Amino acid sequence: MTTLVLDNGAYTAKIGYSHEKVSVIPNCQFRSKTSRLKTFTASQLDEIKDPSGLFYILPFQKGYLVNWDVQRKVWDHLFGKEMFKVDFADTSIVITEPYFNFTSIQESMNEILNFKRSSGSLSAHRYFQENSSELCCIVVDSGFSFTHIVPYCRGKKMKDGICRLNVGGKLLTNHFKEIISYRQLHVMDETYVLNQVKEDVCYVSQDFYKDMEIAQLKGEDNTVMRDYVLPDFSAIKKGFCKPPEEMNFTGKYKSGEQILRLSNERFAVPEMLFHPSDIGIQEMGIPEALVNSVHNLPEEMQPHFFKNIVLTGGNTLFPGFRDRVYKEVRSLTPTDFDVSVVQPNNPICYSWEGGKLLSENPDFDEMVVTREDYEENGHFICEEKFDI
Amino acid sequence: MVEKKIVVRSQDTNQHRVLDRATRQRRLTRQLEALEKDNFQDDPHASLPQLAKRLPQFDESHESGKKRKKTRGDHFKQRFRKNFQALLEEENLSVSEGPNYLSACAESSKLPQRHFCAVCGFPSNYTCVSCGARYCCVRCLGTHHETRCLKWTV
Repeated sequence: MTTLVLDNGAYTAKIGYSHEKVSVIPNCQFRSKTSRLKTFTASQLDEIKDPSGLFYILPFQKGYLVNWDVQRKVWDHLFGKEMFKVDFADTSIVITEPYFNFTSIQESMNEILNFKRSSGSLSAHRYFQENSSELCCIVVDSGFSFTHIVPYCRGKKMKDGICRLNVGGKLLTNHFKEIISYRQLHVMDETYVLNQVKEDVCYVSQDFYKDMEIAQLKGEDNTVMRDYVLPDFSAIKKGFCKPPEEMNFTGKYKSGEQILRLSNERFAVPEMLFHPSDIGIQEMGIPEALVNSVHNLPEEMQPHFFKNIVLTGGNTLFPGFRDRVYKEVRSLTPTDFDVSVVQPNNPICYSWEGGKLLSENPDFDEMVVTREDYEENGHFICEEKFDI
Repeated sequence: MVEKKIVVRSQDTNQHRVLDRATRQRRLTRQLEALEKDNFQDDPHASLPQLAKRLPQFDESHESGKKRKKTRGDHFKQRFRKNFQALLEEENLSVSEGPNYLSACAESSKLPQRHFCAVCGFPSNYTCVSCGARYCCVRCLGTHHETRCLKWTV
């Protein structure tokens, strides 16, 4: 009996057999300007030679699975002979779902994947359970569609403490695209390229107004400014930052590459995770929401949460993210509490690893629902067995 | 001289159009909604004629296979055709209390809102009288008037 773990994210699916390594694969379909008539699914992205103006077809909307047609095609591709060659009769599947998933989505999911399934979304914390003798932890999961802050105690999530910020990687990329298009170069169609730029140059500022001042300086004093060479997909396959010694402060280059000059955008964009109100989203930033969420929990538990803050999700990969969260949470909590913020080595696949550990758990067989069970008892059995 | 004055005045009346709070809020909501979009360009396949599919197929068995698959897809579409909004409404009716999707949303921050120039992104101290956008200096205000103020229809 093998187990396939699938962390079904809104942008990437983290998939792999529990005894093998994880692969991160786009959970969507693509259309390209250059190759007409063809729709590329998931990992076929690599076949597209010129991904400029790439058109995304995403199965998720605001973090919830809505477009089943697309999802089915991606799953067919992932489970099929090109990728994982799943033998459904002999495979358990651990799949994740978002917090507060809608019941109709759950029912559809149970029906389509009507073989063994165990609800994840908790997997990040399962991992924590294996790792530490602590009783409580609070998980910050900052993904593509949104950011969740979820407290767990003794392996149970505390529903009252769950807090969602409607700021995720997608919003950051779109905002980045918008300001670049207004200030420099029209790139509204280049989601794929600009997402890459965002991942390459953006960082979380430790002292926001100080960095703003530096970004305003001229010439060599401006240590924030970077020139980013955009890919043209013939000579330059992947964009990159110009090395500082080659930077030309007039901004004019003879080589004729397309350059984006980035200064305050580099840290103002990730700053929206900390101050969503900067662009008019009236919500708390991550540290404030985290502290607020902990304050809503029983008082005797609170110190345990501050001691065990775990960061997961792609946005936590911005350089300086962990330090900034630590700094702000520290300043918002009384000095007699210990504050510790943990960032795993691979925050994107962290919950996948949790699912892997779960499948190695001796009680795992009791947690799954078999097809016979499902046909006998319907959706009810899933509700009972999965901690949803 | 006289002509110049007229020009100034006509500009002036234009400048005095001030958007009320509701309109400003609507514009902001529209901007935020735009940030949720998957793509800004049109589907590159949308303009393609559907000819390729309608061409007569010579391979009989291949065609029947294709047909069966298509009906399966249609079935899926019928059953699961709900967008996010519909799902949310449905959920609201069935769940009334306890933590749910809506209650989990973060509250508004206790910190005061910070302001940044709509043109260059640096901290700003001034507000455009007409539309409420922020700007930091006369140069940025000029750019703002020329490009976005009262013109922006995203």
